[in-house]
Amino acid sequence: MNLMIHDLDNGLFKKLFKTSKDMHVISNDGSIQRCIGCFGCWIKTPGKCVLKDGYNNMGEILSKTDNIIIISRCCYGGYSPFVKNVIDRSISYLLPFFKTKNNETHHKPRYKKRCALSVYFYGEHITRQEMDTARDLVKAHGVNFNVSEWNVAFYKSSEELLGEVKIK
Amino acid sequence: MKITMINGSPKPGENNSGTLIKYLTSLINENETDVYNISKLKLSDMQFEEMKKSSALVFAFPLYVDGIPSHLLRFLMRLERMDVFDKNTMVYCIVNNGFFEGKQNHIAVSQMKNWCIAAGLTWGQAVGIGAGEMLPFLKNIPFGYGPNKNTGKAINEIANNIKTLKSGDDLFVSPNWPRFLWKMQGTRIWNMRAKKNGLRETDLYN
Repeated sequence: MNLMIHDLDNGLFKKLFKTSKDMHVISNDGSIQRCIGCFGCWIKTPGKCVLKDGYNNMGEILSKTDNIIIISRCCYGGYSPFVKNVIDRSISYLLPFFKTKNNETHHKPRYKKRCALSVYFYGEHITRQEMDTARDLVKAHGVNFNVSEWNVAFYKSSEELLGEVKIK
Repeated sequence: MKITMINGSPKPGENNSGTLIKYLTSLINENETDVYNISKLKLSDMQFEEMKKSSALVFAFPLYVDGIPSHLLRFLMRLERMDVFDKNTMVYCIVNNGFFEGKQNHIAVSQMKNWCIAAGLTWGQAVGIGAGEMLPFLKNIPFGYGPNKNTGKAINEIANNIKTLKSGDDLFVSPNWPRFLWKMQGTRIWNMRAKKNGLRETDLYN
């Protein structure tokens, strides 16, 4: 399965992308709640977030995904608030326990299956510094979400994404 | 001099960002400090008016998945759009994370610097603290001593810079404590907390 997390409005999204049955799309319906840092997804209902807003099952969705495709406005070298909110609500994908990799601590994976991560940032005035930060961010996600491969691309506007998103 | 501290923790009760703010405030108490917890309250126009008068903004927040938590990001974008601060307003931040290494906060610090540029303010300094989840267990140990030695030293340095509105190199600190021990204690604590919720250790791997 492929997973697309995006922050575009639905009209534009439909214009830019053809989706198939094999594609799970997560878009902003305005109901997402912020992660409250309760760790319930680790120690109360392991693997699932305790907030019930329709965005509480990210861990399981990620476990079935071969390719994660993220489309986001670039904000200060990171995602837009909606996309970051989805990512913040996804830590049930991992276990609370720690491992050491490259002499740094990270969380152990909950699932055996690994996926690839592609991030498409858009924005008219993305600075060089913001691009560097964004690359570091996706690279760090690559380690923390235990992905098999990752890549990052930048576009001046969301319209430029037409035909650019490659789905394996 | 007025200093505004913004607590970016989403936790309503006691939280690590609050603990760090409390210590920092004790070091700069000859100045007027306002603390806002952005997850608890929606700031009023009057509070924004007050904030405008500050010489320094200090953001204390937890690292969320390698970056700034989404609710703080929304707040930062709002501040940027308001475009109300004097360009000499200094920006400082204290980020704590759940991993051992303070260095892992460096991306969130870069994001804060990018925000500072976008908002047209002046960068002061950042402190990145590792093993933030140890702090509640170290309540009886003063900052600057034992496992809190490195954290205390770093906060003392940023406090001195805030008092004089100076910039400084970013500081990334891990606790003065063996990493393997922290890791073992972490496993025990997760299992204990699960047990309190009526779960067995094996249930955590569901």
